[in-house]
Amino acid sequence: MKKVIVHPERCVGCMQCMLACAAAHSKTKSLFLAVSEKPQPKPRVHVGVGLYEEGFPNRCRHCNPAPCQLACLPGAIFRDNEIDTVLIDPDKCINCASCAMACPFGVIRYHEDAVAPPGKTVAVKCDNCYERRQQKRIPACVEACMVAALTFETEAAAMKRKTDEISRSVSTGAETAALSPGFELLNTLKKVQIEMRNP
Amino acid sequence: MNKPFENSTICEDSQLLLQKAARDQIETVWERHQAQQPQCGFCEMGLSCRNCVMGPCRVDPFGEGPQKGVCGADADIIVARNLGRMIAAGAASHSDHGRDLVDVLGEVGSGNGSGYQIRDPEKLKRVAAEYGVATDGKDDFQIAAGLADAMKEDYGCKQKSITLISRAPAKRQELWNNLGVTPRGIDRETSEMMHRTHMGVDNDWQSLLLHGVRNALSDGWGGSMIATEVSDILFGTPTPRATRFNVGVLAKDQVNIIVHGHNPVVSEMVLHAAQSEEMLKLAESKGAKGINLAGVCCTGNELLMRHGVAMAGNHLSTELVLSTGAVEMMLVDYQCIMPSLATVASCYHTKMISTSDKARFPGMEHQEFHPENAAETAMTVVRQAVENFANRGEAFIPVDSVDALGGFSVESIVNALGGSPDPLIDAIKAGKIRGAVGIVGCNNPKIKQDHGHVSLAQRLIENDILVVDTGCAAVANAKAGFKMTDAAELAGPGLQEICGALGVPPVLHMGSCVDNVRILVLASALANALNVDISDLPIAGAAPEWYSEKAATIGVYFVASGVFTVLGPMPPITGSLNIVNLLTEGLNDVVGATFAVEPDPEKAAILIRRHIESKRKALGLPAEDV
Repeated sequence: MKKVIVHPERCVGCMQCMLACAAAHSKTKSLFLAVSEKPQPKPRVHVGVGLYEEGFPNRCRHCNPAPCQLACLPGAIFRDNEIDTVLIDPDKCINCASCAMACPFGVIRYHEDAVAPPGKTVAVKCDNCYERRQQKRIPACVEACMVAALTFETEAAAMKRKTDEISRSVSTGAETAALSPGFELLNTLKKVQIEMRNP
Repeated sequence: MNKPFENSTICEDSQLLLQKAARDQIETVWERHQAQQPQCGFCEMGLSCRNCVMGPCRVDPFGEGPQKGVCGADADIIVARNLGRMIAAGAASHSDHGRDLVDVLGEVGSGNGSGYQIRDPEKLKRVAAEYGVATDGKDDFQIAAGLADAMKEDYGCKQKSITLISRAPAKRQELWNNLGVTPRGIDRETSEMMHRTHMGVDNDWQSLLLHGVRNALSDGWGGSMIATEVSDILFGTPTPRATRFNVGVLAKDQVNIIVHGHNPVVSEMVLHAAQSEEMLKLAESKGAKGINLAGVCCTGNELLMRHGVAMAGNHLSTELVLSTGAVEMMLVDYQCIMPSLATVASCYHTKMISTSDKARFPGMEHQEFHPENAAETAMTVVRQAVENFANRGEAFIPVDSVDALGGFSVESIVNALGGSPDPLIDAIKAGKIRGAVGIVGCNNPKIKQDHGHVSLAQRLIENDILVVDTGCAAVANAKAGFKMTDAAELAGPGLQEICGALGVPPVLHMGSCVDNVRILVLASALANALNVDISDLPIAGAAPEWYSEKAATIGVYFVASGVFTVLGPMPPITGSLNIVNLLTEGLNDVVGATFAVEPDPEKAAILIRRHIESKRKALGLPAEDV
């Protein structure tokens, strides 16, 4: 089964995934129209900032067993085994924040949502683009990511790719090439600036 | 335990005012910078193109995603397009500033420039001669009118080359001609850059960048040079004078007016009004002991150079100066004025006035200055400022100001040297002074405020390298005390001796950011005296904390004029290693100078010292290993 896999070393912090996520969870599915919708759609993936001002796309890991699911008293959180995804039923959600307290990754937000009863604040998090998946489309964040920091592939394929990458790097006589020399140069210089500010 | 805000700025006044701003719940540039993290990597690398609506496009620097825009432009082309437009914007800004001065010169010439005068008629005649404007039997006004017309031709497209390029050493002019980068018209080169970077025009990254060179030269030897020369003609050529720096220049018991922006056309008139008998009496009647006009940013530098007006701070201090609660009015014209300022001012009694027909800001009152109404409008706004004194609440002016000597034009430097550059050349030849470096440019929240400027200046003067500076760098070095008359003590023995003999500090304030052209003129004079090209001289440039498009253009015209230039922050070019390599290595074979990028000022100092010693060696002068 394919899932969204995060490659943090490739994230350039452009936040395109956040915009695409919000638009994918809007009523109109159009970024231009979505900005004036009520309630305003919000992203489920959140690009955070690291120690060196690098981006990191923080999204739900769909843990199994999921601490949020275990903490949910009304039983609003459940697992869809078909797409291996933890989902929240907005009708059952009582907005108690127990799930957010239990979540180790801080990916649950509370706000009104296009699929929730009007005017009701509910727990909202990544649903692996459930709606798009029904339409045989890949998750919006992956589609928007131009640098392959988010990929949609089977765990086995991703593991094999990473294993091969590591294997190549330890080949005798191998020169380790930077993933992107330009990005590495930029980050080296940014790190100098940041360390001068925070000695 | 670190002091609060020690990581944001090395300046005591800024640290204390950041604490005050936090108490007053004022959002500053540092917080907005933090809120912007992470910043978009495509944009930081120059890999996003928004030039057309088939796009916007971006290229994946890791090679997996798209490698070309919709039109087919690859990373090299996209980075070159973006850099080209950055240079064009910088050149346009300086040159439009210059044009505003030429307009005033023309109005004065035709008798409509109410309140403006020709303060340096000698310079008027000298520059008129360079432009081939007849001066015999003509009065100053007629010459001014003729010169203004001739300068306007420099902006147009009738000429093969702009006039003041003739100030460069002959070898440099020849090099530019051979490269095909001699600027033809100031506006023409900027306009052509916008054309070339339109989809489907110039898609050779090298030829785009060569035009970038021509565009930058049209600023350095054109728009900016005109701005400086006309400012000198209208308001006087700067001479050394005592002044003061940092937020301590605000007066507890006086009406404080701050001028912010770049063009002396507005600030000169405001200064005149603030010194008028009528306004001083009014201030007294309101319980103030006087009217204290001070500057931030480059229009402050313009007044400092000609009148010794004090400077309250540089770019990153502009919000903090307001948070003292001691400012009755801030007047702004254009460039580098953060749109956040009126929001800060709204927490206090401070009145914010915008003055330029081309620059408006949210929350500011607009009082437009034009040559014909400038004197009158200046009186109106100063009156409002004085009347606002009664509304001042508690003021917080946390530090005492630092004394400094400013006002070093090329003319006044040559004067200080006894009428010719020879004593400076002799000192360089003898090795007492190893060389000279221009530290220029802005503040940028990516670098701890003033850390880049001050650390670099300190290392250079310690190593007997004379520093000249402009703009926000000049304010940083003055706040740090490098321009006090006894600052020579901080310099190495050779520089100390020369500074002592001449009675000048080891860091010479050469003015605003358009005044970087004074550095070009000085470098040309040294090169001509030694019969070499600028690129042969033991000199360098540095922009340790640059942020603006103008600074990018300055960097390019420095390098294109033959000056090795070290940038602090990386420009948005790492998406193309071809372009990085060209700018940091390849250009040496083209213009005899390159860029280097080094955010750490300690390492930048070593790069510069190494460069200076290598140039000394090539000239056959005593050289050291660095």
